[in-house]
Amino acid sequence: MSDSVKDISFHTSVIDGINVHIMPTRKFKTTTIVTMIEQELSEENVTKTALLAMVMKRATARFPDAKQLREYLDFLYGAIFDVDVTKKGERQILHIYMEVPNEKYLSHENGLLEEAIRFVGDILCRPYVENQAFAEKYVSQEKETLRKRIESLIDDKMKYANQRVTAEMCKGEPYALLVQGRTEDLPGIDGKSLYEHYQQITSRSPIDIFVVGDVKESTVEKAVEKHIRLNRQDVHAMKPTPAKKQVDEERAVIEKLDVNQAKLNIGCRTQIGYADEEYPALLVYNGVLGGFPHSKLFVNVREKASLAYYAVSRLESHKGIMMIMSGIDVKNYDRAVEIIKEQLASMRQGNISEEELSQTKATLSNQFRELLDSARMMIDFAYNGVISGRKRRLEALLSQIDRIKVEDLKRVAEHVVIDTIYLLRDKKGEA
Amino acid sequence: MQTTVFDQLGETVYHETLPNGLAVYLVPKEGFSKTYAVFTTRYGSIDSHFRLKNGEEINVPDGIAHFLEHKMFEKKELDVMHEFSKNGASCNAFTSFNRTAYLFSCTDKLDRNINLLLDYVQEPYFTEASVEKEKGIIGQEITMYDDNPDWKVYMNLLKAMYQKFPINIEIAGTIESISHITKDNLYQCYETFYHPANMVLLVVGSFQPETVMKWVRDNQSAKDFPPAPRIERIFPEEPAGVAKSRVEANLTVGLPKCLIGFKEKTNGLTGKDLLKRELTTKLVLDIAFGNSSALYQKWYDSGLITESFDFDYSGETDYGYSIIGGDTPDPDKLVTELQAGIRGLIQSGIHQQDFERAKRKKIGLFLRSLNSVEFIANQFTSYKFNGSELFSVVPTLESITREDVEARMKEHFVFEQMSVSIVRSASPQE
Repeated sequence: MSDSVKDISFHTSVIDGINVHIMPTRKFKTTTIVTMIEQELSEENVTKTALLAMVMKRATARFPDAKQLREYLDFLYGAIFDVDVTKKGERQILHIYMEVPNEKYLSHENGLLEEAIRFVGDILCRPYVENQAFAEKYVSQEKETLRKRIESLIDDKMKYANQRVTAEMCKGEPYALLVQGRTEDLPGIDGKSLYEHYQQITSRSPIDIFVVGDVKESTVEKAVEKHIRLNRQDVHAMKPTPAKKQVDEERAVIEKLDVNQAKLNIGCRTQIGYADEEYPALLVYNGVLGGFPHSKLFVNVREKASLAYYAVSRLESHKGIMMIMSGIDVKNYDRAVEIIKEQLASMRQGNISEEELSQTKATLSNQFRELLDSARMMIDFAYNGVISGRKRRLEALLSQIDRIKVEDLKRVAEHVVIDTIYLLRDKKGEA
Repeated sequence: MQTTVFDQLGETVYHETLPNGLAVYLVPKEGFSKTYAVFTTRYGSIDSHFRLKNGEEINVPDGIAHFLEHKMFEKKELDVMHEFSKNGASCNAFTSFNRTAYLFSCTDKLDRNINLLLDYVQEPYFTEASVEKEKGIIGQEITMYDDNPDWKVYMNLLKAMYQKFPINIEIAGTIESISHITKDNLYQCYETFYHPANMVLLVVGSFQPETVMKWVRDNQSAKDFPPAPRIERIFPEEPAGVAKSRVEANLTVGLPKCLIGFKEKTNGLTGKDLLKRELTTKLVLDIAFGNSSALYQKWYDSGLITESFDFDYSGETDYGYSIIGGDTPDPDKLVTELQAGIRGLIQSGIHQQDFERAKRKKIGLFLRSLNSVEFIANQFTSYKFNGSELFSVVPTLESITREDVEARMKEHFVFEQMSVSIVRSASPQE
């Protein structure tokens, strides 16, 4: 009989200055191991850290050649492996992702778990280094790859518009930065400076390792002790991302590009972050406004006015930003903005039906319970608790959501202010 | 109710075909929180020319299967999406070349959600006014795809490979083609393709199979259906050769995008043969171009490809093709190098160790994908439609030999069957 996971609960221990969080469960056919390195998002380091992620995954001391390294992963039954960076509030997280099949589904196999942890140790602690520097051939190739990655942001107009509104809205705040960094920083980085950055990060930044699968805690802990050794020095804590920012006036930015569909992105400040008391109410607020197909934006912009295929709102929970996004015909710009503003106003007036409220609670609760079926999403949920400084229990969050009333949403609505309206449009008409 | 146990994978499939012809499959996943149900009809964008029940032959506007999918959500009294929301479920639907699927996922109130799914898909309600209104929404969906360079380079490749077979038309149609859609067309298509005998219901997740099967039986036995119509699709004869060996388009992109496709010459395979051909071709592609291959490393190191480089094989009874490529600063060089690489590989043959490694990798990746109820839900039906079995993937992979892979490589990589599709910016500044 399989166990039924009811909540997201990791057992945490500290090994060599690294927090190791383990969650044994028989639910999955694989074991997932995710290592998170937390850093402040900053102009100074953003590009270096993004490049470091790419260089770390090319080679290690044991596998100095990229082809050998990839062959080894195939040998571990096509282990899923990646090193990348993500943005969570004003944090840049460098993460090492690893997933291997559980050996009980494979005949004649054992030791896969330890091999996987050893491999994570290779990546994290034993990179391929020549004369106290990362190998120039990998650094220069990956600089080129990173440059192309940053430049290809423009391929996906939805992502592009989202990054542009964020950059405009958060000018002067670290959150404006693209997590992959800036192309202009690349020429100034070489194997030596990148290796110094690596040493700095691995010795001082907070590191968390999460393991989910059909594993024994003691086995994992022993393997981590054996294979993951870093010279950890005074690890420095970071202050939480500020979720509050006064908005003096609503700004509008129009950008022209060769597109058929205009992208309308409206960035709002909510003044509420993941650690705040009002966070559960913000989740419900966002759900009623634009999180689901029954939400006000979908109903009014798409179903009633027939202006768009998508009209949604999304939260960035650490920074307290809510982004409203839609794809429209540019001639409907004024009307779309008007309808969206009406929905925001109707949230402020508490014009929310019992049905909208109960549908939103039910779908939110469903969404959160679905996290329990994905190791990756459970790790992400737990990690939000780590970096915000407020650990939330899933069950507690769900019962908080369940108790939210229209008055709570009105209170949230008073804090929600439009900061920047951004339009990406074609080059044809007048400005 | 029949039971099939797949020991090695620890999975059991429960199956029953109801008196009205509906095939029901249940895959319980113990310990999971969510349940995912998909109700699929064997009707997609390629089914645009067929015979009606009364024998009349009909050509419908491009994009109608997708349009019909959108319109199924609207009812006289209620809004389907809102009803799912009340039960906490999230619902969705998609249309592909050869099927239309309606689905939901939930962690609660499974009985209500299953009944809702069956009921709304089996009760069409179209009015002229609502059909007109939908044209605005789908128009924006089409425009969104027009700005998407990855979609453009992919669709252009299909158009280049296929001369007549309707896989060369856009799934959503064009703004012009959907303007001709009427409520009567929608009813004609619905009545032809949405009979239970042409559909499959699959439920994956946390539930008791006997209970769920009873809900479905009760729901279906309470409804009357006419006898299943004989579905007669009319497909044009597709010539062996490609329509064009090369097609280019301009769209704002960071780097040019280049996809290379190999069109399958021989079609008509079903069941085990089709599954084996699919898996063998995927092994060939991984051995040749996977990220542990010599070609991949050489191209990546020289900057000819980026991490966007990828490949896939799609093998159906009526059509099949592989697609290889991604972003590249020099599409022409990538095409030349790829052809040279394939020639080299055919000449040198495949090393036993590369073959073993690729097989091992595929087995591991397949096990991993079984963690995902979405993966099972989406793949299971498409294998069923082809007469094969998702859970037979591992034993089929194990049965494939190096000789099979070498033979498939020679059979599949034929340069006369190859097309190239490129998307790049109009001017370097853009």
